[in-house]
Amino acid sequence: MVDYVIETNQLSKIYSKNKAVNSVNMHVEKGKIYGLLGKNGAGKTTTMCMLLNLTYPSSGDIFLFGKNPKRHSKEIYSKVGSIIETPGFYENLTAYENLKVIAKIRGDYNPYTINSVLEMVNLDNDKSKKFRDFSLGMKQRLGIAAAIMHSPELLILDEPINGLDPFGIKEIRVLLKRLSHEFGITILISSHILSEIENIADVIGFMDDGVLIDEISKEELYDRLNKFVEFEVSDIELALDLFNKLELKENDDFAVDGHTIRLYTHLEMRDKFNALFVKSGIDVKKVNLCEENLEEFFTRFVSNN
Amino acid sequence: MFTFIEMEFLKLKRSRIFLLSMLGAILPPLLMFIAVTAFDEGGAFEALFTNVNMYMTAMFAVLIFAIIISYLFGREYNEHTLKTMLTIPISREKFLASKYLMFLVWIGILTVVTSVSTLAFGFAAGLDGFSLKLFVDSFAQLLYANVLLFLTFSPFVFVSLFITNMVPAMIGGAGLALVNLMVYGQNWAPFVPWVSPYLIASGEIAEYGASITVSYAIILVTFVIGLAISYIYFKRADVSL
Repeated sequence: MVDYVIETNQLSKIYSKNKAVNSVNMHVEKGKIYGLLGKNGAGKTTTMCMLLNLTYPSSGDIFLFGKNPKRHSKEIYSKVGSIIETPGFYENLTAYENLKVIAKIRGDYNPYTINSVLEMVNLDNDKSKKFRDFSLGMKQRLGIAAAIMHSPELLILDEPINGLDPFGIKEIRVLLKRLSHEFGITILISSHILSEIENIADVIGFMDDGVLIDEISKEELYDRLNKFVEFEVSDIELALDLFNKLELKENDDFAVDGHTIRLYTHLEMRDKFNALFVKSGIDVKKVNLCEENLEEFFTRFVSNN
Repeated sequence: MFTFIEMEFLKLKRSRIFLLSMLGAILPPLLMFIAVTAFDEGGAFEALFTNVNMYMTAMFAVLIFAIIISYLFGREYNEHTLKTMLTIPISREKFLASKYLMFLVWIGILTVVTSVSTLAFGFAAGLDGFSLKLFVDSFAQLLYANVLLFLTFSPFVFVSLFITNMVPAMIGGAGLALVNLMVYGQNWAPFVPWVSPYLIASGEIAEYGASITVSYAIILVTFVIGLAISYIYFKRADVSL
């Protein structure tokens, strides 16, 4: 039996008449990194806020560690670390003092732990700097430090790489993978940056317009990516005539973009199609065997659903 | 709860509002000192303490308390720290209770600052008639009035949760201070919850011929209503990001 750390059942949130989250059934396995992918406004943040009890669901159920968080609030949320949008800290306090406030209130204040997490996110040299003087990237890193300070079993991170430079993104990616693979921490991470989710996640949940369209593993994702052959031809009309005679259907079997035909089916016959084009007097300037990237897959997937 | 209060104090580190509130607490004794020295309004310690307590409770405290409440509650929204605090996790009840308690502690500090600075200004002005009993009585009167006033500020907590910006609180506080000045001396002053604390604490309420029980009841009802609506709102509302 699969051990789910997060499980939701028909989870919905309605604002006035707008369904921000619509009957979401999410399943996050223990020890996995689950990437929640969706456009801005897809409902990712609202879903995460409901998981963290910051926003109340209009309907549906949430189970964290197999339990109802309403009934076991303290027990459950003490095992959770989170960042929702831009991390919120007291502007007049330093990085160290901000973490101290959190640790003291949680009841596990230890200066050594604070210094360690600050070092882990490369803020050890800025621990005496006031939060108001932090760059966005530093704020995000402090947010991550606060989220992991109490060694949580589950991390819920909403767009944690926002504002980070490429080096910062790489550091956080390495850190999160380490936390997941070495310490077995389950991570739910959202982003609208597809490449990041592809890089980090074991399982991807596709969300659009409040609906969780599908949850697929990365292996399954790669299997589902469309492969296609691109022909760049000198006479597109003639080439289309040939395809029509072969009873290939536009949009189903192939697509046209300027002088390029993108063939999705019968890929194994690409050499024969090439020979046919040449025989018919069509110059074939380029033939490429390509694979759909995640962005193209996401666009197709969302529009199909 | 002690840790919560300790952390509320840490949150105030380098905060200008705390310093400003202290300056606000010194302002009534300072103005009285100026009146005594510059305008040769001579007098004794007793008159100084009475005047300071009246101006502080009826006017300055109303404005200062409104600003403090707005800051204590509103900053958690404005600095987006509420989502951080509530996911520690802290129950919303405990969070609200710690804020109320911090407000009360803050009021206690302001009371001490006002009383001690009044004493210092009195000596600086060379006033006569000082006795320890007078000081203790005056301090107790101011503290009692401020604690009663604290109870009447629970509706402001709701306003601060609902409108997290400090500007409405400042305008509301200033408006209420003016209303207090207008109401003071009117027959129905004992029935206005923001005026009656001073009247009760100073004993002036006896001059109005009104029932002190009714004044206490009005203060208590104001507190309960404010507490209930702030609790219900805070408990039920989604946390804005």
